[in-house]
Amino acid sequence: MLRVWTVALGLVVVVAALELIAHALIVTHVPADGDYEAAAKLVRSQLLPRDLIAAAPAYIDPLLRLHLGDRIPLAMAGRSDDAGYERMWVVSIRGALPPDAPRGTPEFERQFGRVRVLRYKLGKSRVLMDFVQNLPAAEVSLARNGVDHRCPRRTGGVPRGGGLGRPVLMPIPERFECDPGRPWLFAGSIVMEDLSNTPRYCVWQHPQGEEPVSVRFADVPLGDELVFYGGVYYEHERMREGGPIQVDLSINGRRRGGMTHRDGDGWQRIVVPSGTPQEQRGEVRIDVRAKNPDKRSFCWAASTRRKPAAGGDISVITANRPTLTGAVPNERPQPRVAQ
Amino acid sequence: MTERPVGLRDHGVGLALCVAYVSVLLGTASAIGMSRDEGIYVQAAESYAGWVARLWHEPKAALEQGAIDQAFRVNREHPPLMKVLFGVGHLAQERWHLFSTESASFRFAGMLSAGLLVWLIYIFGARVFGRTAGLFAALAYALLPRPFYHSHLNAFDVPITLANTAVIYAYYRSLGSRRWGYGCGALFGLALLTKHNSWVVPGILAIHFACLAFVERRARSAGVRRMALVPHALIACFTLGPLIFFAGWPFLWHDTFKRIGWYVGFHFHHEYYNMEYFGVNYFWPPFPMSYAWVMTLFTVPLTTLLLGVLGVIRELAALGEKLAAALRSQPTAAGEDWQRVDPRLTTVLLFGAMLAPLAIITLPSTPIFGGTKHWFPAYPFLALFAGSMFSAFIELAVERWPKLRVPGMPIVAGTFLLAPGFVETAHSHPFGLSHYTVAAGGVPGAAELGMNRQFWGFTTRSLVPYLREVLPNGGNVYICDTIYTAWVMLVRDGLLPDNIRATWDIAQADYALVHHEKHFAEIDHQIWTTYGTVKPAHVLTYDGVPIISVYKNPRSQR
Repeated sequence: MLRVWTVALGLVVVVAALELIAHALIVTHVPADGDYEAAAKLVRSQLLPRDLIAAAPAYIDPLLRLHLGDRIPLAMAGRSDDAGYERMWVVSIRGALPPDAPRGTPEFERQFGRVRVLRYKLGKSRVLMDFVQNLPAAEVSLARNGVDHRCPRRTGGVPRGGGLGRPVLMPIPERFECDPGRPWLFAGSIVMEDLSNTPRYCVWQHPQGEEPVSVRFADVPLGDELVFYGGVYYEHERMREGGPIQVDLSINGRRRGGMTHRDGDGWQRIVVPSGTPQEQRGEVRIDVRAKNPDKRSFCWAASTRRKPAAGGDISVITANRPTLTGAVPNERPQPRVAQ
Repeated sequence: MTERPVGLRDHGVGLALCVAYVSVLLGTASAIGMSRDEGIYVQAAESYAGWVARLWHEPKAALEQGAIDQAFRVNREHPPLMKVLFGVGHLAQERWHLFSTESASFRFAGMLSAGLLVWLIYIFGARVFGRTAGLFAALAYALLPRPFYHSHLNAFDVPITLANTAVIYAYYRSLGSRRWGYGCGALFGLALLTKHNSWVVPGILAIHFACLAFVERRARSAGVRRMALVPHALIACFTLGPLIFFAGWPFLWHDTFKRIGWYVGFHFHHEYYNMEYFGVNYFWPPFPMSYAWVMTLFTVPLTTLLLGVLGVIRELAALGEKLAAALRSQPTAAGEDWQRVDPRLTTVLLFGAMLAPLAIITLPSTPIFGGTKHWFPAYPFLALFAGSMFSAFIELAVERWPKLRVPGMPIVAGTFLLAPGFVETAHSHPFGLSHYTVAAGGVPGAAELGMNRQFWGFTTRSLVPYLREVLPNGGNVYICDTIYTAWVMLVRDGLLPDNIRATWDIAQADYALVHHEKHFAEIDHQIWTTYGTVKPAHVLTYDGVPIISVYKNPRSQR
């Protein structure tokens, strides 16, 4: 027994020494602000229009935005996937990589003190049109008794408040206003938090009831597929109390697919076939409805894309699938959520 | 286990520890901004203290139901003892200007509780395990980073830790003295008046007394009578305790049962808040059962924790060995064997007192929003076990290596084993709730693991120099998780000029803050959409981990 306690004594002494050493190592390995500054300077000097900038580990994202935020538009910060980008810059510490970084060796790598900069090739962008960024060119309407009523485009206004429980502060600077009496009934590009607390740059399109709120884009380059992401604001989805939301995607007046969002689905992705050799451009219409529209703060992001070259693995998905577990290539992974 | 005598000299040591700890707390408090809860308790403290003053000057009017209800309706979800003491501290400040800041006057009673707790741990440890163990235990507790942060506050978590420990100490003493039984009941009444964590204490005592009675009966059946089996302390807890609780809470003097029912119901159906744990934002039960254990591992200095766990094993093993020997002994040797078994089962009492708070949080339905503070009442006992192990190691070392038998050896060894706690506690200030020990990989490691980074919005205090710099002529700041009274306290303390004002409108603010906590990410996104940029103007960091992002409103003229 004496021997056991002698070993225990030795263990305590070793642990105390290691604890002191580890603490010193942790504290002295914190990157200096100058390291970020130097890394940002390099990225800034070589940045191209279709470059994506990401941070790893995720907790340094505010520091990345502090140094390079002027080169990170809302669309990048709230991206659903990296299809619109051709290169990915990673500002990394502690050897971390973003979960959506390509596997394999980066084409460029440099160390600045404790900060490492890496650059990956993503391949040529397949995106033909991003609907969120092109929303100002759309037409928005609200159906009443089967008749579509146009929602006029408005700018200005001062949003009120701020704080937990608000998907977006209204009014946003630019929006299609469908009903001044119901300020949430508008369409506009915002950044909203999804079920996994991830920022999503998306089009707010709150349903009004069983009749749809519709967004129409004319003369869209259709490509091969329409990739559509949608979800509900975190606090309106996390209790799993809301009713389903029906989304229908139509091209040139014909329904090509859709999704039924049920609480718990999170940020859901569907892919529907879009163009054909005979049908290269056309009108895309997105209808959103919900039997009970209460707290159905639906928001979506979509783009038309060319199919990847032969051997590509994009599949047409028409049914709901658990996006919280099975990420598709290039999709921005969603952290786990409380069930 | 033989009880060691404790005398005036020991209380002198305890007093010195208390004074030293309170002095350190007073000296470091102004770097810690007021937390959300403190802001609410300041309002309550002013209201309650106003009533106390009125009771002094116009007792008849003060005792009318309207006057009582008006004063005590504020924050009636918690009993009043500490809030009255916070308020009395502030009344003293108004009269005699005892403290350097207003916030310190409200906080002093909380700091004093922390000092008294260190004193009590020393006395408890000295009595049960010896002076060396007591001193080590007191210092080991004082050097826990999270309790160190909470010890600064005008909140109830450290006071209830003191109160529960005092009740358990009094109960322990009552096993040899009826007088201490009454003392235990009175202290339990004060614990009830401090916070609802006290409700669990009679359960701990009852279970311990049942174990003690069982063992005593076995000893008696072997013909050995070691102690009387009258639960004086428990009787006092169930009689004196509620009486003191009722007498000390004027709000219960009218509509008594309805109001007690509301109070009890409030805590049995407590609202759930958000807490990040391994990257998941938990906001609703079931909560992870590992939470309290992992957070203890990640926030208590590893050396202290290891000593505590080894202490538990050693003490329980020793008790088990003696108990087994007594149960097996032949009738001729039974007396001697039973005399070796501690009749008070002190180890069981300390172990139960340590385990119970952790076990309660382990229940998947218990809210976890307060982080480690909910099981602080376990820590004095963890420290006591760490002290006992330290003391045993000193004895073991000099036994194995006689050359170590030199006068200063325990001091050198104690300093070495307390050094990690000291270094980590010093480093945790003023970001106590953001601090994680090396077991989590420190603050950056915990951030990478997705552990909660802070709560209560108190870190705004650390932004004061920045805000003064960027708003020399004043302006509006969206203060995110910081409660208004906490912001106002920065002005009352003279840290912020009164022309830098709090606002709840992100669009109207010159600067907007986001306290980095997982569920507050949506404030970031509200700001991005409203300001049209994701670029903060400033990021407050701790060990390279973002604590607060500050955004400048592009429309601000400041």
